[in-house]
Amino acid sequence: MELRAYIVRRLLLIIPVLFGVTLLIFALLQLFSPVERVALYVTNPRQFASVPDMIAKYGLDQPVWVQYGHWISQIFQGNLGWSKVVSQPVTSAMLNFLPATLELAIFATPLIIFGGIFLGSKAAAHKDKAIDHATRLGAIVGYSLPTFWLGLMLLMVFYGLFTGLFPPERLSTEMNIVVHSEAFTQYTKLHFLDAILNGNGRVLLDSLRHLVLPVITLTIVSMAFIMRLMRSSMLEALGKGYILTARAKGLDESTVVSKHARRNALIPVLTVSGYIFAGLVNGVVITETIFNYKGLGWWFWQSAVNLDVSGVLAFALFNGVLFVITNLVVDLLYARIDPRVRLGGKVT
Amino acid sequence: MNELLTIRNLTVKFYTYDGVVQALDNLDLDIKQKETFGLVGETGCGKTLTALSILRLISPPGRIESGSIYFNADSGDKPIDLLAIGEEEIRAIRGSKISMIFQEPSSALNPVYTIGDQVSEVILLHRRQELVNKAIEAINASLARRNSFVNTLANPIRLAERSLYQKIAQNPHSLWPRIVGRIPLVRRLLQRLKNEAKKMAISMLKEVEIPDSERVARQYPHQLSGGMEQRAVIAMALACSPRFLIADEPTTSLDVTIQDQILELLRRLKSERESSVLYITHDLGVAAQICDRIGVMYAGSLCEIARVDDLYANPLHPYTKALLAAVPKPGEEPHAIGGIVPDPLNLPSGCRFHPRCSRAIGICREHIPPMHELAPEHFIACHNYQGETGGSSC
Amino acid sequence: MTSLRYMLYQLRKNPLSIIGIVIILTFIIIAIFAPIIAPPPEGHIDPYMIPRYGYSPIPKPPSEGHIFGTTEGQYDVFYGVIWGTRSAFRVGLIVIGTVLAIGIVLGSIAGYFGGVIDEIIMRITDIFLAFPILILAMAITVALGPSLDNVIIALIIASWPAYARLIRGDILAVREEDYVEAARGMGGSHLRIITRHILPNSIYPTLVMASLDIGAVVITAAALSFLGLGAPVGYVDWGQMISWSRNWIVGPPGNPLAYWYTVTIPGLFILFFVLGWNLLGDAFRDILDPRLSRK
Repeated sequence: MELRAYIVRRLLLIIPVLFGVTLLIFALLQLFSPVERVALYVTNPRQFASVPDMIAKYGLDQPVWVQYGHWISQIFQGNLGWSKVVSQPVTSAMLNFLPATLELAIFATPLIIFGGIFLGSKAAAHKDKAIDHATRLGAIVGYSLPTFWLGLMLLMVFYGLFTGLFPPERLSTEMNIVVHSEAFTQYTKLHFLDAILNGNGRVLLDSLRHLVLPVITLTIVSMAFIMRLMRSSMLEALGKGYILTARAKGLDESTVVSKHARRNALIPVLTVSGYIFAGLVNGVVITETIFNYKGLGWWFWQSAVNLDVSGVLAFALFNGVLFVITNLVVDLLYARIDPRVRLGGKVT
Repeated sequence: MNELLTIRNLTVKFYTYDGVVQALDNLDLDIKQKETFGLVGETGCGKTLTALSILRLISPPGRIESGSIYFNADSGDKPIDLLAIGEEEIRAIRGSKISMIFQEPSSALNPVYTIGDQVSEVILLHRRQELVNKAIEAINASLARRNSFVNTLANPIRLAERSLYQKIAQNPHSLWPRIVGRIPLVRRLLQRLKNEAKKMAISMLKEVEIPDSERVARQYPHQLSGGMEQRAVIAMALACSPRFLIADEPTTSLDVTIQDQILELLRRLKSERESSVLYITHDLGVAAQICDRIGVMYAGSLCEIARVDDLYANPLHPYTKALLAAVPKPGEEPHAIGGIVPDPLNLPSGCRFHPRCSRAIGICREHIPPMHELAPEHFIACHNYQGETGGSSC
Repeated sequence: MTSLRYMLYQLRKNPLSIIGIVIILTFIIIAIFAPIIAPPPEGHIDPYMIPRYGYSPIPKPPSEGHIFGTTEGQYDVFYGVIWGTRSAFRVGLIVIGTVLAIGIVLGSIAGYFGGVIDEIIMRITDIFLAFPILILAMAITVALGPSLDNVIIALIIASWPAYARLIRGDILAVREEDYVEAARGMGGSHLRIITRHILPNSIYPTLVMASLDIGAVVITAAALSFLGLGAPVGYVDWGQMISWSRNWIVGPPGNPLAYWYTVTIPGLFILFFVLGWNLLGDAFRDILDPRLSRK
C-alpha cells in the first residue's frame, strides 16, 4: 500500500494500543488493595496520614471506570505517585536515575549493534570455516548465558580475583564525593561526559572503570542474538540470484558481500530491533541490580522487591509507552529503507 | 584465428552427500568469432554449468576438475586459458569482455538498488579510464570558459578534482582516490565519474529499447515488468561491449509475446555489435530463430554440433532426431522420447543415451563415442557413424 | 533416501546438535532419578526444599558429605542442583506447553478467519508485546505475590502473545495454498481444515521457536527467583540458589575465589540446560529448513 497511507494507518493504530497499555497496567493495579493503591496518588509523604481521605478523594472504592478516569488524569498531570523506596515522588525519582541508565545504554548499544552485525557477516561470508564455527559457538553460548550469572561471574573474577580492577556501582566513594562537590559541575549527570566537560581525568577513568563490567554483561546476550540473526539473513541473501549477477559483473568478493548482500541482509535485522530493545531493558534491570548500579533498572528492582506499587507500575507503564513508540519508529524506518515498501508493490 | 572460445576437456564434478556427480564430461566446444552458438538440451544436461565454467562461477560443492578454456579476446594476442589465469584477471574479464545474462531477471537484479545504479556499477568498474578522461575534459572545458565571478569560486575545487582524476588516469590502482572515496564529504569530488557513468547507463537503457529511460533508471526492479527487467539485465551485460555474451535461457520465464520482443532485440544487438553469443535454451524453436550453429547436449556431453539448417534438415544423432520428433506438430500425435533422463549419480556406462536409443549397438554400452566431423562442420558423437565418411576418430 | 536417514545425516554434519541432544537427555535422566542421585535425608519432609546441615551463614567448600559444598545457611548445593532439574523442566514445559496451546487457538482463529477478529486479536497482542517480558513478569509477580507458581502464571501471560502472532503468521503463509482450497472445496469444516491440513504443514518454525524458548523461559524464571520474586528461600530452584551467593562473591583477601561453588555450580547447570535446548532448537531448524540444507 502507498507509503503515506501506511504511515497514517500506523499512527492511527497507536492510539488504541496505547490505550490498551494503560488498561493493562490499570488491570494490574486492581490486584492491589485500595490502601496500597493510595501510593500512586500522593506526592508528599505526609499525605499518608490521612489514608481514608485519600481513598475518598481519588475514588478508590468507586466503580472501575471512575477510578480509571482519576488515574489517567493524574498521569497526564505528571503525577505518578510516591516511591517509598527512595522517598521521592516517582517522577523525580525516574528523572534522577535516568542518566545512569543512559550511560550504560550509550556504551552498550553501538557495541551490540555493530559488533553483532560485523561478526554475523563475517561468519556468513566464511561459512563452515573455522571462524564461522567459532562465532556460532560463541553466539550460542552467549545466548544461553543467564545475564545475572554472567554478571556475578565477571564480578567474581575481575573485582575479586583481580582485586578491585573493575568495581561495581557507578563510582568509587572518593570520586563520588568529587562529583558532588562544588568544584565539579554536573552538566549532564552522565559521569563520563561530565568528567570530560570538567576536564577531570581521574573521574573519567573511575567512571569508565566502573562501566566495563556492566556494559559487557549487558552486551553479550543481545550481541549474540544479533550475530545469529545476521548470519542467517546474510546466508539467505548470499543465495540469491543477484549475487551471482554481481560476481558475473566482475566485482570482487568483498564488494559483493558488503554492497549487495549486506543491505538486503540488514532488513530482517531492522525489523527485529524492537525485540532487541526489549532484551536490553530486561538486561538493564538485571545488570544494574547485580552491580548495585543505581539507575532506573536498580530502582525498579528495589520497588519490586519491596512491593512498592507506584514504582513498579510507573516503570512498566513508561516502558510500554516507550515500546509502542519505538516500534512505530522502526516500522517507519523499515518502510523507508526497503524500496518495495516505500514505493508500493508487495510488502514482504 | 577464427575461434573466439575454445573449450577442451572440460570436466566438472559435484561432491554431494549422495555421491559424486559427473556434471560435465570432457567437453570440447569451439565458438567462432561473430557467431551465435546455441546450446540445446533438456533441463539438467549441463548447459548452464558449461556457461558458468567459462566465467569460473562454479561454487562448491561443484568443482572444475580439469580442462582448459581458451579465449581469444584480441585477435593478435595469444589466447588465454580462462581456467588458468588469476582471480584478478578473470574478474577483469567478467562483465567487460565476457558477459552473462540469466534466466530470471527479477532475481538477477538487486531489489534495493535502482536500475540506473546497477547498470552504472558495471560501467564504473570496467570503463574507468574512459570516464576519467571524460571528466578531465569536462573540467578543462569549464576552467577554460569565461565564467561569472561566483562560478569562478569553484575553480579550486575543480583543480582538486582534476588532479585526482589525473592520478587515476595514470595509475588505475592509485591509493589517493580510494582514500578520498571513503571520506563522506570529500567523496563528492568523485561525483563526476558517477554522473558520467549514469549518463552512459541511461543511453544503454535506451539502446535496449526501454522507453523513458531516465525515469526507469531511477526506479527499482520491483517496479518494472518482467520484460523490462530482462532488458535492463541485457543493458547491464552489454554496457562494456563484451566480445562474448552468454545468454542462459533469457526468455524462458517471460510471456511469449515478450519473448519475441527480446529475441528481436538480441538479434538486432548482435548484428550491430561484433560479438559472439552463446545462447542456451531447451526450446528448439527459439534456437532455430537466432542461432548460426547449434550443439545438442545430453547428460553432460555433446552429441551433435552442426549449422542450424543442417541440423534441422539432416539430424544425425538419435537423440537429436528424437528431440525434433518430439516437437508437437498440429495434426500429429506428439512423440515423447521413451525412457527417463538418467540419474546424474548413476550415469549409464558408455554412451549416456544408449538405454533410450533406438539404434544402440553393443559397443554403445562400453565406450563413450568420440566426437568426429562427419561432414563439413557437422560433428557427431555416435558409434553408428564411426566407420563412415573418413572422419578421424578420437 | 528415507527422511530418518536424512535427519541422521544432518545431525552428523552438525555435531553441535548431537551435543544438544546428549545434554537434554542427561538432564532428563537426572530429573527422573533425582531421588536416587540425591536422596533426601531421613525425616526431611518436603523433597523440594533443600535440606540444611546447620545454620552457619558461611558457605562450606566441597567435601565428603557435600560434593558441591554448602551455601549460606548450610543448604546442600548438590541436592539443590540435582532436584533443581525437576523444577526447571516443570517451569519450562508448563509455560511453553500452555503458551503453545493458547497461541495455537488464538493464532489459528486470527490467521484463518482474518478480518475484524484478526485485527482485534493482533491489537491485543500488540498491547502485551509492548512490555519486555521480564518487566511484565515482575509487575505481575509483585501484584500476585512472590511464588514459583505465580512466576509460571506471569510468564504464561507475558509469553503467549508472541506465539499467537507466530502461529498466525504460519497460518497466513499456508492459507492460500492449493491443498487448503481443495480441502475447502471438499466441504471440510473449519476446524478440520485447520487441524488436519493447515497446522501440520505450518507449525514447524513455531516448534523450533518453542524449543529455543524453553531455555529463555527457564532463564527468566531463574532471574525472577534470583531477584527474590519467585521461588521461596530454600526451594530447589537454580536461580534462587544463586541469590544466596550474592554476599559471597568475593571471598576473604588472599582467597577471593573461596566461595566460587556457590555461584558457579548452579549457574553452570542453568547454562548447560539452556544451551542444550538452544542447540536442539538449532538442530530442528537445520533439519526442517530445506533452503539451508541440501542443494
